[in-house]
Amino acid sequence: MDSDFGAVHDELRGVARMMLANHSPLTTAGRSFKPLDWQLLASSGWLGLEVPAAQGGAGAGFAELAVLLTEFGRVAAAAPYLGSVVLGTAALSLLEANTGRDHRLQELAAGTRRVAVALPTDRPEVGQPTAPFRIRRAGSVLEVSGRAGFVPDVVGADEILLLAADDHRPVLVAVAPSAPGLQIDAQPVVDETRHLAAVIADGVEIDPDSLWSFTGSPEAGAARLAERAMLAVACDSLGLATMMMEATVAYVTDRYQFGRPIGSYQAVKHACADMLVGISICSELVGTAVEALSSDEPGSWVPVSMAKAHVSSVAVEIAGKAIQLHGGVGYTWERGLHAYLKRAALNRSLFGSPIAHRRRLAARYAGEGNS
Amino acid sequence: MAVPDRDLAEFRSTVGDWCRANVPKDWRRAQAGAPEEQFVAFQKAWFQELRQVGWAVPHWPAEWGGGMSVAEQIVLYQELAANDAPRLVLAFVAIHHAASTLLVAGTDEQRRCHLPAILDGELWVQGFSEPDAGSDLASLRTTGRREGDVFVVNGQKLWSSGAAHADWCLLLVRTDPGAPKREGISYFLMDMRTPGIDVRPIRNANGESHFCEMFLDDVVIPVSGLVGPEHGGWRVAQETLSAERGMTMLELSERLGRAGFTWLLEACRVRGPSGDRLLDDPVVADRLAAFEIEVAGLRSLCRRVVERHEAGASAPAEASIAKLLYSELLQRVMDFATEVVGLEAHTQLTKPLSSGWESGAWMLDYIGSYEWTIPGGTSEIQRTIIGERGLGLPREPAAR
Repeated sequence: MDSDFGAVHDELRGVARMMLANHSPLTTAGRSFKPLDWQLLASSGWLGLEVPAAQGGAGAGFAELAVLLTEFGRVAAAAPYLGSVVLGTAALSLLEANTGRDHRLQELAAGTRRVAVALPTDRPEVGQPTAPFRIRRAGSVLEVSGRAGFVPDVVGADEILLLAADDHRPVLVAVAPSAPGLQIDAQPVVDETRHLAAVIADGVEIDPDSLWSFTGSPEAGAARLAERAMLAVACDSLGLATMMMEATVAYVTDRYQFGRPIGSYQAVKHACADMLVGISICSELVGTAVEALSSDEPGSWVPVSMAKAHVSSVAVEIAGKAIQLHGGVGYTWERGLHAYLKRAALNRSLFGSPIAHRRRLAARYAGEGNS
Repeated sequence: MAVPDRDLAEFRSTVGDWCRANVPKDWRRAQAGAPEEQFVAFQKAWFQELRQVGWAVPHWPAEWGGGMSVAEQIVLYQELAANDAPRLVLAFVAIHHAASTLLVAGTDEQRRCHLPAILDGELWVQGFSEPDAGSDLASLRTTGRREGDVFVVNGQKLWSSGAAHADWCLLLVRTDPGAPKREGISYFLMDMRTPGIDVRPIRNANGESHFCEMFLDDVVIPVSGLVGPEHGGWRVAQETLSAERGMTMLELSERLGRAGFTWLLEACRVRGPSGDRLLDDPVVADRLAAFEIEVAGLRSLCRRVVERHEAGASAPAEASIAKLLYSELLQRVMDFATEVVGLEAHTQLTKPLSSGWESGAWMLDYIGSYEWTIPGGTSEIQRTIIGERGLGLPREPAAR
């Protein structure tokens, strides 16, 4: 990454860290997981980071988004950012231009509209995402049916974009949450910073103007969306793991037992060192994947799967070790570390388990050319 | 000790039959997310059921209502685990720590006063740890000032599990501030109704609140509440803390093998929407087999530890080895279950309070496993003990 970008990223990171400083469960005594102020995010330009300038956005790319996603992970931010910005804005950007699209992008950047995108999230299989919904044409009437579980940020969204198969071709269908035949079942999870729901469509009638095709290859468009979701989660895990390491280092430096800081004992010191070693690798894997995805490299799924598989696992280990090294205090609700462990474990399972991602990577070894 | 195998087989079928007739069928569902009072009532009732058949305190001496051979106790805990009987979690400190303290170091009067009462449902809590005395327990700062026939106690205790329901407390107090830190501590039995005790529950990472803080403000304890010599409490604590560990580890390892691992297998046998099962994945199958091997080794080790302890031939640090193995294996199995069960594992928001450390609510069980790797000597402390006492390695550098 060249130095101009580096400087821009540093500035973005600095601003974000300052703005989010008091939002971590570590500083709010683990008591509340209040969502970040959406209008504040809009006025910071964070909702339209990737929206073209013509639609009121910043015209930046995934690399800049990744900086923010990592900062959100650091504070285990509760915000519908994954659903509406990471996936919603991107989904619209990947579509063929149409009148409704540009208008929506503008509203998304301004924070006056929120969307969610229903992709497969709860299936162990990765690879070409299978559309969880399908289109049925009966004369001039279009209907969509299907089910997607654990869709992020559906509750509160003004519109839901369903990834659907239209005669085997992946398309996106926009439906209103109140559409007859559409059911939204909130799926509360142990991690209170995330909001997931099952979206069930049973013959929901759709307006032909709400059925949108991807620009270029529909399969590539659908795959790109899935890769963004996976990598967004990896960025989040990297951020939260880094925060857990920093909190642990601070704690073991201050905490004395047997007359010495516990960080002076090799058992503790080495465990902290392992955190840094793990994060060093994770940060490389995320950096490589972000570069591949933002420059639209063919085969970007390989570094993305590598990052998702590894970083989401290591983050669970680091958050768990952080609790262990904080001792009893780390196990209290008030200290807030639990929020990180829960989020890390959920991240590990969202958008493909590490086992599924490794299986997908390993399929390349036989020379089947799975890309 | 030498119970013929035939009798053991008979005892095993007796316990199994009794469990099938008496373990409430739906206790897990009823106890998941149940209010605190319901949990306490359920635990007390279950304790009395076990007491009636003589299985509540099998490890106590016969004269106090126990007297079961170690071989029979092993069978008992295996069968209770196999039949998914509720665990006596509320009475745990009473029947183990309090009882062993009284039996090893208590006076006859203290035993007569408390052992029958425990059988009638008296509950106990441990008042050992403090905010600045965790791993370094001997640095505790709660003070006890002797005034004639009483001690006046002031300080703060932490991680006292079950303090909100306890009738009595096992309390460590610094009674000689001038002495070296291990030589100025006294061990007391404290009546929880004494004025000046303020108990505040602490909410845990998994949302439960059984751990408590206790603030002691001029709490008066009569000299008759001393266990062991004045200022000699550290030794009493050392002797009594490990006394019960062997059988507890055995029970928990049986639970991990019978309940935890079995449920994980069941979860892996469930057919998904496309008809496949988790265990059809060779990676998952391999990890399951690796866990089965470790659990088998742990169960065997725990039986050996108990038998050697009974024979007075304990190996150095073997209690630490069992605790370290159990707690970290529990943690790895629950972590793996959370991972392979996937997003569904995160939707279970409550777990039954009377269960062991595995309940099938995998994410909560995984979080709960830190209650085993941190309290009772952290894994880091256990490794130091194993290295120093088990292998005779040089000690950690002394305090600066």
